[in-house]
Amino acid sequence: MLLSNNEGKEFLLMGNQAIARGALEAGVSVAAGYPGTPSSEIIENLASVAPDADLYVEWSVNEKVSLEVAAAGSFAGLRSLCVMKQNGVNVASDFLLHLVLSGTRGGMVLIPCDDPGAISSVNEGESRYFARLMEIPLLEPGDFQEAKDMTKWAFELSEELGNVVMLRSVTRLSHASGNVKLGALNRTKPTAEFNFSGNLLDAKTGPVITAPVPFRHTQQQAKLKKAAALFETSPFNRYEGPEKPELLIITSSACYLYSREALRVLDAEKRAGILKLGTTWPLPPELLKKHLAAAEKVLIVEEVLPFLEENIKIFAMDSIDSIGKIKFFGKNDGTLPSVNEMNPDHVIKAISSILSIPYTGMPEEYEKSGQILSFTKSPNRELTFCPGCPHRASYWSINRALTLNGENGFVCGDIGCYTMAILPAGFGTIKTAHSMGSGTGVASGFGKLKSFGMKQPVVSVCGDSTFFHAGMPALVNAVHNNSDMLLVILDNSGTAMTGFQPHPGIPSGAAGNELPGLDIENICRSIGAKTFTADPFNIAATEKKVLDIIENETGARVLIMKQPCALSPEKKGKKKYNVSVDSSICKGTDCGCNRLCTRVFRCPGLVWDNAAGKAVIDEIICAGCGVCADICPSGAIKRSEVVL
Amino acid sequence: MQVKGSKEIRAGVLDSGLCTGCGACVSLCPYYATHKGKTVMHFSCTRDEGRCHAHCPRAEVNLDRISTQIFGEEYSAEPFGSYISIYAARAGDKAGLGSFQTAGTVSALMKFSMEKGYIDSAVLTKNDKGFGVPVIIDDPSGIEKASGSRYSVSPTVKGVNEAIISGRRKIGAVSTPCQTLAVAQLRGNPLKQENFTDPIAFSIGLFCTWALTASDFTALLKSMGDISTIRRLDIPPPPASVMEIETGNKSYIIPLDDIRKLIPEACSYCHDMTAEFADISVGVYEGKTKQNIAIIRTEKGRKIFEEAVTAGYLVTEKIPEEAIAPLAAASMNKKKRGLAKLAEADLINSEAGHTVIRLEKSTLDSIFKGGASCC
Repeated sequence: MLLSNNEGKEFLLMGNQAIARGALEAGVSVAAGYPGTPSSEIIENLASVAPDADLYVEWSVNEKVSLEVAAAGSFAGLRSLCVMKQNGVNVASDFLLHLVLSGTRGGMVLIPCDDPGAISSVNEGESRYFARLMEIPLLEPGDFQEAKDMTKWAFELSEELGNVVMLRSVTRLSHASGNVKLGALNRTKPTAEFNFSGNLLDAKTGPVITAPVPFRHTQQQAKLKKAAALFETSPFNRYEGPEKPELLIITSSACYLYSREALRVLDAEKRAGILKLGTTWPLPPELLKKHLAAAEKVLIVEEVLPFLEENIKIFAMDSIDSIGKIKFFGKNDGTLPSVNEMNPDHVIKAISSILSIPYTGMPEEYEKSGQILSFTKSPNRELTFCPGCPHRASYWSINRALTLNGENGFVCGDIGCYTMAILPAGFGTIKTAHSMGSGTGVASGFGKLKSFGMKQPVVSVCGDSTFFHAGMPALVNAVHNNSDMLLVILDNSGTAMTGFQPHPGIPSGAAGNELPGLDIENICRSIGAKTFTADPFNIAATEKKVLDIIENETGARVLIMKQPCALSPEKKGKKKYNVSVDSSICKGTDCGCNRLCTRVFRCPGLVWDNAAGKAVIDEIICAGCGVCADICPSGAIKRSEVVL
Repeated sequence: MQVKGSKEIRAGVLDSGLCTGCGACVSLCPYYATHKGKTVMHFSCTRDEGRCHAHCPRAEVNLDRISTQIFGEEYSAEPFGSYISIYAARAGDKAGLGSFQTAGTVSALMKFSMEKGYIDSAVLTKNDKGFGVPVIIDDPSGIEKASGSRYSVSPTVKGVNEAIISGRRKIGAVSTPCQTLAVAQLRGNPLKQENFTDPIAFSIGLFCTWALTASDFTALLKSMGDISTIRRLDIPPPPASVMEIETGNKSYIIPLDDIRKLIPEACSYCHDMTAEFADISVGVYEGKTKQNIAIIRTEKGRKIFEEAVTAGYLVTEKIPEEAIAPLAAASMNKKKRGLAKLAEADLINSEAGHTVIRLEKSTLDSIFKGGASCC
């Protein structure tokens, strides 16, 4: 479908698929990114067709480098795409700051996919402010058709302006699906050539540099003014509703759909109008003036932060003579919540209060009792590691070793499946968690506090992908500064949390192509850290090793716990052991261990049979790793190797 | 007596600086462990009641109840607790032991009781890389290897638990006062388990003024040299105030003041210097390096002791009053100090939250008045 012409035909596409199709229709040649929910499918879709499409697709080591890789394509005259989740822009922002000064050549689009409500993140940051901060245009598709059409247009816009264009999506667009009519697929085969011999000041033919800065900055701002003029007539800015609405709703992105739904539910489509903006920076001045002049009350619906709201308020102040005074409603006055995801209920509540439309959604008592019931009656469904996940075993050993050591040692973590050790799934082992690779950086700092009397052992955890992404510089810092800390690299052979994408340690690329895989152990030794390895599935030996390294070694140390993810191709669907509980040995509720197996260890494959009052293995869920056999104090769990 | 669970142990004992590291809670379940002399808890058990709480010598110890269980009388306000007689003693030739630290009374008693079948196994404490660890001995020849004084906290009762779990039922245990107290509670079947039989056939208690935090003490020893060759650790009687250490080829002297810095806070709450709930309690006879003081407390203790003397495993002497007085004074002081510290922290007969000791108020009062006679 992605590479089929099928112009004019309608398909049900996920938002990320629509974006990928839009890029292909624009003739994209280079696509780079780093896995991050909800953005990953864009690169994955492009990677799936890369071999047949004269397309280079790369999972870069981190977002900063991915932006640099994409920029190179643009400098060489190719259309290029860079994809990441919201906080990826933070990582790429230093390069972005300079890129937008130097300008681009082949159309270049940066696509951050934000995660309002942090459904799959440990932050709900906003990428839109980067567009304003970096002074580049910002586009926000409002539905699935626009996701495709605006992506295609973004490349054209980028070339017309000579700068990066940011196109921002959110979870409810990227991961939801809708009808999309395809456009023409014109796959050309452009030649890459980097021209740099022209005049120093010529952005198209000279070297790609940011100096002289004020000169370039002036050019950059002129590009933005040009964009604002283009946006006045963009079909992606639309108004629907009465000519003089009682309430003007200004919205963008998925909030457009919520606003439409809210008006329909309240039967207020004749009283309120929706100005859907697809171009949200810079704001199209004449268009805005026209609609603001026709309204006295304005509600701005967006997520997550009041980006549009604040920009529009500034604009309204500047234009107050022509548009008159306006009462604004939004996040800053509490009409809409300032944190968490937006949804139709919030918008309904806001509009009904502004327009005094009585509305009862769910009765408050019902909502309260529903919450109580869901806590007290429904089974506990916490986030946890998969059956057979090596992290469960790793944290079992790390946690126990730190307890035995008895010096109140702790673990600094960061981003990945392994972040779940802030929860009971990982026995609450992680005590600080921030951005990619930050655990090791923080540990590097903690490891220097001995001179201030700190006696607690310092440990950090980092995944194999995260290690390449951001952990390596932190480890370099720890070694060079003689920091007393232990980095445990949880190497499960892939970027697991985001869908098991490859990374530089894996001998393959985004398109499944063969590539050299870098050796983490060698890298750590080369950096100069005392490096050890362990198999986390051997919990007794691993616990002993962790304790030994903590107690008997000093300086910056690395322990690589190597065991592939349960969902990796080499393991998925294949059991190493047949595991079962011998119910004649299992003491059930009478066991003084008080269900250590199913209350503490809690692999999903190890289940409590309430009727029998004993533990039992669910053969379908069990991944056959065999670790639980070493957990039961009575030895009731048996494992036998599967003979092929 | 209120039996509670691990939550109370964690809050009231482990996190409150009261844990003596005796090991009574270890090896009963997957949740407790001991490492380098420190007792730790992995994860949370959440059961309301457990042997950990029932046996712990720092949780709900009803001194009157235990005293009645062992001696048939309530807890005594006397300096040494309840006892039958006191002797000076040392190992006799028939014990067949080599030379050792003090007078060898404990090793001789253990060897005798095992050779005569009073016990089938002994739980002793041996030295493992500078740390005291429990060891289960099933053959009399193994007893000597675990002889010698340990000064640092050792989880000996872990060894008792493991001996019981392995099915051994005629166990002889050598333990410090807090460990002995745990063993005494264990023997009373506090959780009223069916078909319970007392697995301890002979309990020897050791006098103890304080112990040392194991990892700190080992670190101190390591800083002196190769501790694997330590042949002797001794604190000579006053007026000396040093610890003497003899390794393979060197002798060291450490001022006692430096040693005292390593005493864990938990020891300051202890009120029992002479291991009041053993069958026989044995300790240093001040001024007489080649003799012990042995306090015979129970009929069983007396039987074994007298037979050992008759068989030549022990040589005994009467002790003059003047020799007992210092021990009585020291013992009474420790009892008062420990109980005073417990009382100050509301850990005696407390109704709110955690309590360490329960005993008759009149007994407590008479201890504090301190006019108890000495023998």
